[in-house]
Amino acid sequence: MKKILSVLSLLIVVTMILAACTTPAAPTDAPEPTDAPATDAPETAEPTEPPASGDKVQIRWFVGLGTGTDPAQLPAQEKAVADFNASQDEIELVLEVVPYDSARDTLATQIASGAGPDIIGPVGWGGSNAFYGQWLDMTPYIESTGFDTSIYDPALVEFYQTEEGQVGLPYLVFPAAIYYVPAMFDEAGLEYPPANYEDKYVLDGEEVDWNWETLTEVAKRLTVDVNGANATEAGFDATQLQQVGFANQWQTHVAYQASYVAGAADIVEGDEGAYESAMPDSWKEANKWVYDGMWGEQPFMATGPLAGAPEFGNGNLFNSGKAAMAMTPLWYTCCLDQFRDAGFEFQAGVLPVGADGQPHGRVDADTIRLWKGSANPEEAFKALSYLIGPEGIETLIVGTEEVPAAYSGLPANPEYQQPYVDGLLKRYPFTTAETWDVFKAGLAYPDNPSAEQWQPNWNESWARQQTFFDLLQNTPPDQLDFDAEWDKMVEDLNDIYAK
Amino acid sequence: MFEQLSNFRNSLPSLRSFRNLPPLARRELKQATWFLSPWLFGFLVFTLIPIIATLVFTFINLKITDGVSSPLKWVGFSNYQTLWNDNQAGVNPSSWFRGGTPGALWVTIAFGLIALPVGIFLPLGIAVLMNNKHLKAPNFFRSLFYMPYIVPFVAAVFLWGGMLNSQTGWINRFLIEVLHVSRDSVPMWANSGAEEWGWIYGTYVMMGIWGIGNAMLIMLAGLQGVPTELYDAAKVDGANSWQTFWKVTFPMISPVIFYNLTLSIVGLFQYFLVPLVVNQGTGRPGGFTMFYNLYLYRNFFQFQNMSYGATLAWVLFIIILAVTILLFWSAKYWVYYASETRS
Repeated sequence: MKKILSVLSLLIVVTMILAACTTPAAPTDAPEPTDAPATDAPETAEPTEPPASGDKVQIRWFVGLGTGTDPAQLPAQEKAVADFNASQDEIELVLEVVPYDSARDTLATQIASGAGPDIIGPVGWGGSNAFYGQWLDMTPYIESTGFDTSIYDPALVEFYQTEEGQVGLPYLVFPAAIYYVPAMFDEAGLEYPPANYEDKYVLDGEEVDWNWETLTEVAKRLTVDVNGANATEAGFDATQLQQVGFANQWQTHVAYQASYVAGAADIVEGDEGAYESAMPDSWKEANKWVYDGMWGEQPFMATGPLAGAPEFGNGNLFNSGKAAMAMTPLWYTCCLDQFRDAGFEFQAGVLPVGADGQPHGRVDADTIRLWKGSANPEEAFKALSYLIGPEGIETLIVGTEEVPAAYSGLPANPEYQQPYVDGLLKRYPFTTAETWDVFKAGLAYPDNPSAEQWQPNWNESWARQQTFFDLLQNTPPDQLDFDAEWDKMVEDLNDIYAK
Repeated sequence: MFEQLSNFRNSLPSLRSFRNLPPLARRELKQATWFLSPWLFGFLVFTLIPIIATLVFTFINLKITDGVSSPLKWVGFSNYQTLWNDNQAGVNPSSWFRGGTPGALWVTIAFGLIALPVGIFLPLGIAVLMNNKHLKAPNFFRSLFYMPYIVPFVAAVFLWGGMLNSQTGWINRFLIEVLHVSRDSVPMWANSGAEEWGWIYGTYVMMGIWGIGNAMLIMLAGLQGVPTELYDAAKVDGANSWQTFWKVTFPMISPVIFYNLTLSIVGLFQYFLVPLVVNQGTGRPGGFTMFYNLYLYRNFFQFQNMSYGATLAWVLFIIILAVTILLFWSAKYWVYYASETRS
């Protein structure tokens, strides 16, 4: 028996040793840069002999919170890493790609165990917010290395300045616009949405502001039932829609809708321990507008059941060719192949102006961030500078025939935007340079603070707002008290903030 | 059952008995241990240690997104206290419908009360039909009823979701176009509002029927195991069909029903997939589809609140254990084991 117990003890010890032999733990306390590094970074003495791999500082690059996990994206990422490692002999950059579905859990576990990676991304606001408080303020390193931020639109640099500091630098940007189907406008005898933010719209021969009221009217006329009647005509059958005028394509969240229609706003007030929801009334009205658009007497948007129906694209509504307009960021160009192959064509128009007469844009953005617990932040920033700098962009975003680009998006660095636009022109031959200029113009109107701004207990508060929007999409007015549900959501948000 | 457990414990060898084993037996035991060691290793690493870890989690404040910024603290029974006061979890029955929202435990139990009879009696009824001597091509029908069980359940749920789409689904189209039901009167199925939550649960039950093939097969095996001489004796005694079923068939297959009932109850407490896919796991409408296990999943994986998620999991375990013990206790009153004499 003694031997049996010995064997069991040995097994337990082996188990524990194996568990301990996983990723080496980094210091749990994030080393805050106590002093800003000197502006002129000291030159490193050139080694007489190339250092062995073991002498290099290892910097781990975690990919998985956003784009970058598809097998087709790996070669470019691997090439960027190999090129960087070959370009210098101080740092060994190591790529860690984790499937999207498990990336959050994996990263959270690594961070909780103090073994987080040094570089994380590309990641959007949503993915970043789940790890609020974990991001390194890059300001000291930007200053010490003389990283040139003037190449970016200042609004985009400012976009990444949060309470935590400069937590990112502009990298991939996805400004929003209105995608529309010209053929449907022609059929309805309507003018196309304007292509410039200053332009007016011509409705029934009169020049009017391109605002949400105008868009609503246009969308109603583009919403058609089985009998061919539009939503403004007598006898229109709202229960049998064949085509909708407007789609909030994959922008189905309280904050997205409100940012577009009412404009960006700080939605949390107070200090730690006493946070409260501060969603303005204009946000409530914006969501009410969406609800009426779906369930009102003259609907012009698809309800949840309709948008989820196979005939309407199983959620990818505009791609099904059954929506005349779709409001969504540039990344939606990912998912229009069926639309194109079915012979449809789209163009782009600017977003309507809000009640204040100003355009309220939205810019989704992916960047690569640094973990504040990194034991080697200087080296991590150096590697990051490479990835988001010209060489990295060439490999990761522009690509070559042999190694295609890993990421699809408009580079924030204007010098590299044209290759991406060329790719879109090739993919959607019916578009022109002017089509994509509409999106570029949207960069001047980012939603700052972002619709995906941080809220306390972000995962849960974001999910609560999502639940509210899901309710709007799926519940007809006779079964929903909008005001009561809104108040309940605000109450729940305050409870969530207080947790 | 407790008596059986007690007997089993007494039959276990003591340490002394191991020492007194003959050399051959000791060697065999040693070899057996080596053969078992991979399983023991896996059990320790992948089952026992995680189970213990989750129990420890319930007494600390591990919220994984807090990461390095939040040191771990021993919080005693604070997580259990929070759970008791959590209206949405609904572990405390007095919190059900506080603020108009049903507790997750209420949702689970209410749905269970609807789904359980269907999940037990429908497969039993089909099995009885399948076992009927007058049925032509029984194997064909058995395969037909079992076939849906082979289809992955997620795929089936998507399929049903399409069929039951309130605006474009085939079922509502049939109601409107063939049966001429008015558009305003057709059910919204899973998209029904909070006041019509019964429709939602009915929809879920309907989707669940898709997977009764396995239960039907087990019932059928039980039915085929009933000795035919019992039926002959009942016939001689002048029993009619109902009496034969109730006095002969049911007692003889009661262990099989008991088995299915136990699994169904455990499965219902862990009900998760359908509301996650059909109603996007949001609990829409008004929390009526926020099942306990879904709530647990959201806290654990979506909100990454590991301590609270673990607390929910342990409380669920305790509830399931209590219900199962109750069920085993009740078995002596209605489950008949022909081969045993029960005290």
